[in-house]
Amino acid sequence: MDFDDSPDEAEYRARVRDLLERHAADLLHLEAGQEGVDARTHEAEMRRTQRVLAEVGLVGVTWPREYGGQGGTLVQQAIVSQELARARVPALINHIGIGMCGPTVIAHGSQDQRDRYLARLLRADDVWCQLFSEPASGSDLAALRTTAVRDGDDWVVNGQKVWTTLAHVADHGILLTRTDPERPKHAGLTMFVVDLHAPGVTVRPLRQMGGQSDFNEVFFDDVRIPDSERLGEPGEGWRVALTTLMNERVAIGGAGGTIGLPVEAFVQHARERLPALDPERQVLARQAVGRAVVAALGARYTGYRRLTVLSQGGIPGPEASAGKLAGTEAARLVADAGVRLLGDDAVYAATGDGDDRWQRTQSWIPGIAIAGGTDQVLRNIIGERVLGLPPEPRSDKTAPFSGGRR
Amino acid sequence: MNFDLDDDQRDIAAGARDFYRGSASPAAARAGLEGGRLEPGRKALADIGFLGITVPDESGGAGRSVLDLAVVAEQGGAVLAAPSLVTAARAAVLLSGEPELAAQLADGSTAFAVLDGDPDESAPSVDAADATAFLALDGGDLVLGEGEVVPGRPLDATRGLASVRLSSRRVLAADAGELWARARRVAAVVMAAEDLGGADRCVQLGVAYAQEREAFGRKIGSYQAVKHMLVDAWVGVEQLRSLVWWAAWAADANPAELPLAAAAAKACAASVFEQAAGTLIQVHGGIGFTWEHDAHLFWRRAKVDRLLLGDEAEHLDAVARIAVAGALGG
Ligand SMILES: Cc1cc2nc3c(=O)[nH]c(=O)nc-3n(C[C@H](O)[C@H](O)[C@H](O)COP(=O)(O)OP(=O)(O)OC[C@H]3O[C@@H](n4cnc5c(N)ncnc54)[C@H](O)[C@@H]3O)c2cc1C
Repeated sequence: MDFDDSPDEAEYRARVRDLLERHAADLLHLEAGQEGVDARTHEAEMRRTQRVLAEVGLVGVTWPREYGGQGGTLVQQAIVSQELARARVPALINHIGIGMCGPTVIAHGSQDQRDRYLARLLRADDVWCQLFSEPASGSDLAALRTTAVRDGDDWVVNGQKVWTTLAHVADHGILLTRTDPERPKHAGLTMFVVDLHAPGVTVRPLRQMGGQSDFNEVFFDDVRIPDSERLGEPGEGWRVALTTLMNERVAIGGAGGTIGLPVEAFVQHARERLPALDPERQVLARQAVGRAVVAALGARYTGYRRLTVLSQGGIPGPEASAGKLAGTEAARLVADAGVRLLGDDAVYAATGDGDDRWQRTQSWIPGIAIAGGTDQVLRNIIGERVLGLPPEPRSDKTAPFSGGRR
Repeated sequence: MNFDLDDDQRDIAAGARDFYRGSASPAAARAGLEGGRLEPGRKALADIGFLGITVPDESGGAGRSVLDLAVVAEQGGAVLAAPSLVTAARAAVLLSGEPELAAQLADGSTAFAVLDGDPDESAPSVDAADATAFLALDGGDLVLGEGEVVPGRPLDATRGLASVRLSSRRVLAADAGELWARARRVAAVVMAAEDLGGADRCVQLGVAYAQEREAFGRKIGSYQAVKHMLVDAWVGVEQLRSLVWWAAWAADANPAELPLAAAAAKACAASVFEQAAGTLIQVHGGIGFTWEHDAHLFWRRAKVDRLLLGDEAEHLDAVARIAVAGALGG
């Protein structure tokens, strides 16, 4: 057991640090206290930043070389993420493309699709989104109703997606549709790559509870998708989607990444705010700070354990769901304690000096506990696939989807 | 970075599992509540070398790491073994300058206990009930003495809890505050490791029962209220395992991180073991509330351990203070 970088890792880290310094002028940087940037207002700089990083080999670290990646390890990816955070470079604009869409194209796309899409995706020439959820199919994703009907060499798509992160700046998306309502719900689905600029696609930003707009509704009205944009065989969409979802689990907190604010930022905040509280409140506040730090460190080191297993050739399994669950809980404790440290300002949407960092952070957490699988769905996955507990009885798996339609 | 046990440690764990399963059990812990013998007992632990894992080879120990000891302690915790390796670990640190005494610790010829609090009227201390030689901090000095033992009626018999009044004392080391603090931190890590074993066992037993028991025509494990309770306990165990390994590694390889890591592991152990033991009883329903079932034995230990060597609140406070003082950077 050794927490320090191995000589190879240390060398890699030094190289990454050096690259980030040399190209600092071309990269977008966060100001102190800023945790993210709005993809809409900073779209151009974010795209440029990703392109610069891609050109020096810091994007798609774990992707195979033949698809423009670096053929690197998950540990190297973690090092790049840590160094980007250290240099205060914000999350890549195409994080969904890199984490979920690209790996799905690699696994299920044709050679032609890989050639056309992957290099551009890594450079953020095209930004991607994931068009899965619908108003009536979130956790129960296979209940989706957006249809694709074959018409000559094209498919014609009608329906609506919702909560689609980044659709307002995206150029492409992976789109899960129903192509055969007469088959059981999981069997009649087909996946496509869709051009978000195609006629008939309408994107409407939704305002989230925190006030910002990161996700959207997307409407499809007779949108034509050429058959060459199909991802996998007709009716095989569920299998394709599982690839996406598996990658999503690893991308969100499954391998040592932080959900929410890094614990270091929280501790810095506590250092500044604790002395301002009256002594009795300090005692209680330290309990909350301690609890949040323990949770955050537990989640972090559990992520490192997973990373070790994966870097020794292990396969990302359902255990990764535990990383998201524990990471979400830690993020919740950190955010709540961070706000409470504000004293009287804790009840306002911003502190007296106008800083709304902790309040904003707090308002992400309810969404984190839903996006990419709700806490309850993750518990089901862990309970059934890791602990081996029996599944719930279901009546919807075998009946034709059209028959089960309300 | 490599955050995993090595093959050697996996072998140690497997060997310890076999030994403990063959020589201790919750049944013995239950018998202990009615005055019966606790298992495996000091002699067996000395014979297999577990009391001397971190005692240097020159003193007849194995000279191994705290992490190796933690891996063994986890297996002891799973069967509620007694005495605790916490005592051996803590005494080994305190006796690091006393090769002869360390040898007596390792071979089991002297029954040591380490006293918490005032040596004239100690706090309830682990494995003190049948010990004959007591280590204590007396006005900043490390002392060794004999004492008058006052056991209480144990909530958990396996901890050998008793208060002690020292009747003789000899100074082993003056100004031993730092040594004492390190020993207490290592003890906290080892107790967290035992709690990890206990909590993990609770989840295993709970899962097994949920796969078998039926109600309303279904296995109870298919009900989310039951399933999710077990999952939460399991997720807690995974977090605890990470913190225990980190803290044990810090004890060996990065002393500067030990204060934070030990406090984090101990605080996490307090809540995770309690949650797992509570879940175990709940999943079993009425049978889980009976004397004959093992569930209460884990519950007892969880309730006791969370208060020993500093309670959860003390360790959370320590984590906050140490982190804010700069241990995490940021
Ligand atoms: C910030 C954010 C970003 C998102 N980004 C995207 C995106 O980019 N692309 C995309 O396709 N989607 C995205 N989503 C949608 C997300 O995947 C869904 O919201 C999620 O899967 C839950 O679906 P739902 O909202 O329909 O809730 P529902 O599925 O209706 O759930 C409602 C409640 O029922 C519970 N529930 C449902 N089924 C079960 C069950 N079997 N057992 C126990 N409880 C259950 C849930 O846990 C929840 O508490 C995003 C969501 C958020 C909040």
